Amino acid sequence: MTHLVLPNSGHNRDPEANKMGMWLFLFTEILLFGGLFIVYFVYRSINSDAFLHASYQLNVTIGTINTIILITSSMTVAMSITALQKGNLKLSLILLWITQIFALAFLVNKYFEWGAKIDHGIFPGMAHYAEMASGEKLYFFLYFFMTGLHAVHIIIGGIFIAVVMKKMKEGKVTSERISLLENSGLYWHLVDLIWIYLFPLFYLIH
Amino acid sequence: MSEEKQHIVSYKEHFGTWAGLIILTIMTVAVSVANASLLTLTVVTALTIATTKAILVAYWYMHLKFEKKIYRIMLGIVMLLFVNFMLLTIIDYSTR
Repeated sequence: MTHLVLPNSGHNRDPEANKMGMWLFLFTEILLFGGLFIVYFVYRSINSDAFLHASYQLNVTIGTINTIILITSSMTVAMSITALQKGNLKLSLILLWITQIFALAFLVNKYFEWGAKIDHGIFPGMAHYAEMASGEKLYFFLYFFMTGLHAVHIIIGGIFIAVVMKKMKEGKVTSERISLLENSGLYWHLVDLIWIYLFPLFYLIH
Repeated sequence: MSEEKQHIVSYKEHFGTWAGLIILTIMTVAVSVANASLLTLTVVTALTIATTKAILVAYWYMHLKFEKKIYRIMLGIVMLLFVNFMLLTIIDYSTR
């Protein structure tokens, strides 16, 4: 049998496929959260009064601050891609550091927000939660589940960006091989996108 | 081989997107908090503003505006799929 030798261009990479693979993954993320949003809408339509009452117990100020944090961090990631494309590695890394600080700030806010709720016994299984009307229980269950899942995504996004920063310092991600940075950016923007919907649905609709 | 010309989005464009997102955020919060008695933020209004923000993020931050058309088509198909799920659920619940 003769060996079939495939032509090789010398560098085995395909930025277009990288990007498309990332988008396909993001679509599964959209449908994951999309399913949860459908659950939210169904329960909201059945328990509209209880959801209304429960939503007043969330802190709009912290929610707004976290929204601004995420929007700004999305901008710094987008700008870091621009910086690396223009060949400015240092600025790109600084912008990613700023993003990491914003990610941490978001999680610290989340910690205090959840902490205040847990101090009041509002967490599935706690005393105050057990006494609530069933509609309010549903609201808080969904609140903790959806914002919790979102916070997990923030942590994963932060780790992803940290890995990319390390590879940028090692010269493995450069303006010619930018795919990994772009993909971490896409992931971070998706996390921002999900929050854009979570914020009004849980905090603002009164 | 892959060095097609890539569109570089300028810092200015990113900042403009940011400004738009902040204005829309302030709008939703203002409608929700300040005018709680006059104007209530309905699910429809909230979702309209949120979707406007989502499009801004997808088109500029995620570079969708400058990508090949196939990405927009793919995203459109996923959105149609989701709207389908949503509509079927609504029809189910409203006809029980």
